[in-house]
Amino acid sequence: MSAQWLRRNDVIPVLFGIACLLAFFVLIEILVASGKINPFIVPKPSEIVTSFGRIIADENVLSRFFVTCGEALAASLMLAVTGIGLGVLLHRLRLLRLATETWVAAMASAPLVLMYPLFLVLFGRSVWTVIMIGFVAALPPVVLKTLEGLSGTRAVLINVGRSFNLTPSQLYWKILFPSALPTIFVGVRLGMIFALINIVGVEFLINFGGLGQLVNELSERYDLPGTFAAICFVILVSVVFFMATERIERWLRPGT
Amino acid sequence: MASADSILVVEDIVKRFETPDGVLTAVDHVSFDVAPGEFLAVIGPSGCGKSTLFNVIGGLLDGYDGRVSVAGETVSGPHPSIGMIFQEESTFPWRTVIDNVAFPLEIAGMGKSERYDKARHFVGLVGLDGFERRYPSELSGGMRQRVSMARTLASEPKILLMDEPFAALDEQTRLLLGDKVLQIQQDLKQTTLLITHNLTEAVQLSDRILVMTYRPGKTKRIVDIKLPRPRTSEIVGSDAFGHYVAQIWNDLREEASKGLKDDEQRVARAGAVRK
Amino acid sequence: MAAAGHMTASGAPARTGGMTLRRQVLLLRIALLAGLLGIWEAAAASGLLFRDVVPSLLTIGRSLFELLAVPDFQWEVGITTLWVPDFYRHLWITMAEVGAGMTIGGFSGLAVGLALGANPFLSKAFERFLYYLGPTPKIIFFPLMIMWFGVGPGSKVAMGTISCFFPIVLSAAAGMRQIESVLIRVGRSFRLNTWQMVTKIYLPAMRQPIVNGVRLGLGVAVIGTLLAETKLSNRGVGFLIIDAYNTFDMPRMYSLLIVLFVVAIGANALVGRASRG
Repeated sequence: MSAQWLRRNDVIPVLFGIACLLAFFVLIEILVASGKINPFIVPKPSEIVTSFGRIIADENVLSRFFVTCGEALAASLMLAVTGIGLGVLLHRLRLLRLATETWVAAMASAPLVLMYPLFLVLFGRSVWTVIMIGFVAALPPVVLKTLEGLSGTRAVLINVGRSFNLTPSQLYWKILFPSALPTIFVGVRLGMIFALINIVGVEFLINFGGLGQLVNELSERYDLPGTFAAICFVILVSVVFFMATERIERWLRPGT
Repeated sequence: MASADSILVVEDIVKRFETPDGVLTAVDHVSFDVAPGEFLAVIGPSGCGKSTLFNVIGGLLDGYDGRVSVAGETVSGPHPSIGMIFQEESTFPWRTVIDNVAFPLEIAGMGKSERYDKARHFVGLVGLDGFERRYPSELSGGMRQRVSMARTLASEPKILLMDEPFAALDEQTRLLLGDKVLQIQQDLKQTTLLITHNLTEAVQLSDRILVMTYRPGKTKRIVDIKLPRPRTSEIVGSDAFGHYVAQIWNDLREEASKGLKDDEQRVARAGAVRK
Repeated sequence: MAAAGHMTASGAPARTGGMTLRRQVLLLRIALLAGLLGIWEAAAASGLLFRDVVPSLLTIGRSLFELLAVPDFQWEVGITTLWVPDFYRHLWITMAEVGAGMTIGGFSGLAVGLALGANPFLSKAFERFLYYLGPTPKIIFFPLMIMWFGVGPGSKVAMGTISCFFPIVLSAAAGMRQIESVLIRVGRSFRLNTWQMVTKIYLPAMRQPIVNGVRLGLGVAVIGTLLAETKLSNRGVGFLIIDAYNTFDMPRMYSLLIVLFVVAIGANALVGRASRG
């Protein structure tokens, strides 16, 4: 999606979009400066920018960033292994799939992250509560996407394999799996993004760990420009994460 | 044609399917044989069981009566001597052109450099030199079908079995690819069985044409095509070509109109059920 | 489960050993459920694993009954007073908050999405901001929402609104671009005016993506609203869950989660049905 935004004749609308955003910030700046907007409700954009340096220096943003990244990485690894594993299992055992696929789909539409108080009881206010919530809440889509990819292999490709007398394991590894891989990547990427969102969210809610906690602490101190800056930082991290997974996905699936 | 010389013998094939409307006989006592180096086309209207026949001969379908044998050996399951080209797009999107073509060689356990050399030869044979490193998504439909063809030819099958390989292509591309097939057939002395519903294609390429009836699919007639070889697509302009097309269309028209009428009735019935 | 394995080799006939597939599936489901509940009960009885966190099924059942069927609250509805379990009042508050958020976020999202889908210039200028803002954690905006809309339902509705806005905008915009151009040309050939084009061609052709967007939106709106309730509130299902945690009433927490999941899954299925109808 982003590649087509880089085309040359798109430069004008893109610049227009950025200009509008900047104009909006300037307008807010003026309105706050002139007292039309209460500065205790919306801080000046310039103040937010200057407090970036302050929170980076005073609030250990870098180490918080690594805490959150580590949690997201752990959850993602668990997701990939368990999610793909369960998807493959359900695909191989047809009866099990028929019995449980609707259950998994139902779980995918349930607000699983609301179980965080339960995990809090199980693991205490620890990094494991955060990781487990990221993992559990994002697991169903990874399982479903793996299953979709494997069973979505076009019949003619399987027939090509059979016409070349492939053994069942060759059929699986040379045809079924590579054909499913793009869909599986979509699932894992979706899961990773879900996991990051929930991890930051739970950090904020239980006031523990990385970047989510930073937002909570600054807001509890009524440091409004700092809160805004921290939120901007979290958004920035999520966007970079999102773009990076997008890149990796495209790099991992040639020819599609 | 004596069955002793034949490389592919199809004897008395009957295949029935159970459908909600009762038992459907898709292929009804069809027999024929193909001599080495011969090009035989099976033509028939949609729904005459051509594709069922393709799957039976290719060993992709079982539960039929009759016998298919290759060089005297009964076929059960896909036979290594039969190479299949499918109607649908069947290149592997995750492999480059050269890796697609090298696929059967890789399965056969051939070493890397040897199989690439060989695959390159077949890529050249279908006229795709220079596209070895491209992915199928970068190619046109006609080019992709040629990749499938090269992939099947690379396994050096004794018999090439094709199911409407050019059905998804436009008429001009189809004629030009027909030239390619004629040339390859001539160079490799490739025994070929083509399943098609396209009259021009059948006459352009074949030595003999088997015309099938509409449901149940039986042999209506076998026509010898005595057009000179080597041929090119220019042959479609000749009087002899026109004569063969007219003759076969005469047989085919009757069957195709049965099919059309049958479709209309089926739709009307389905509508009645819904009410 | 191992026994299930060999029966399900690919291409297995619909009948195996005289038992229909449907029956086998039903039996497997019952077996799986019984197995899971059995393991749970054994863990609860032994007290070895997560003591106090795994209450016996009977305790959870009793708590579920108390939650749903024991009246402990006088609810004044109009002129009448109902004697109902307090849970329903909280459920009603949460549903009203989610509904309000969905209405505001849904209609504004649809309007913005249609504008972006119809106008390539606007889409190129602004859509990528929304595209990249979509998959970010929304709950961290909650402190600002409290500041702007107060600690009451207002901030929860705001959370629901900003949560569901993004998926709906993006699905509507993408859905509009995906309409087959021949349908639009058909509409033009019949000389439809703009309003007719929107109501007779665009919206019907976009039904599927819009329903999908609403479905995704509903899911995140429920999450946004409930998480906000767990953070700072004295009403709503989210508050009840965090309250059960604070009082360490585990059976009650399980009951609440079960009911919440059933309601959320049911609502999702209901919206999904709208796309097929």
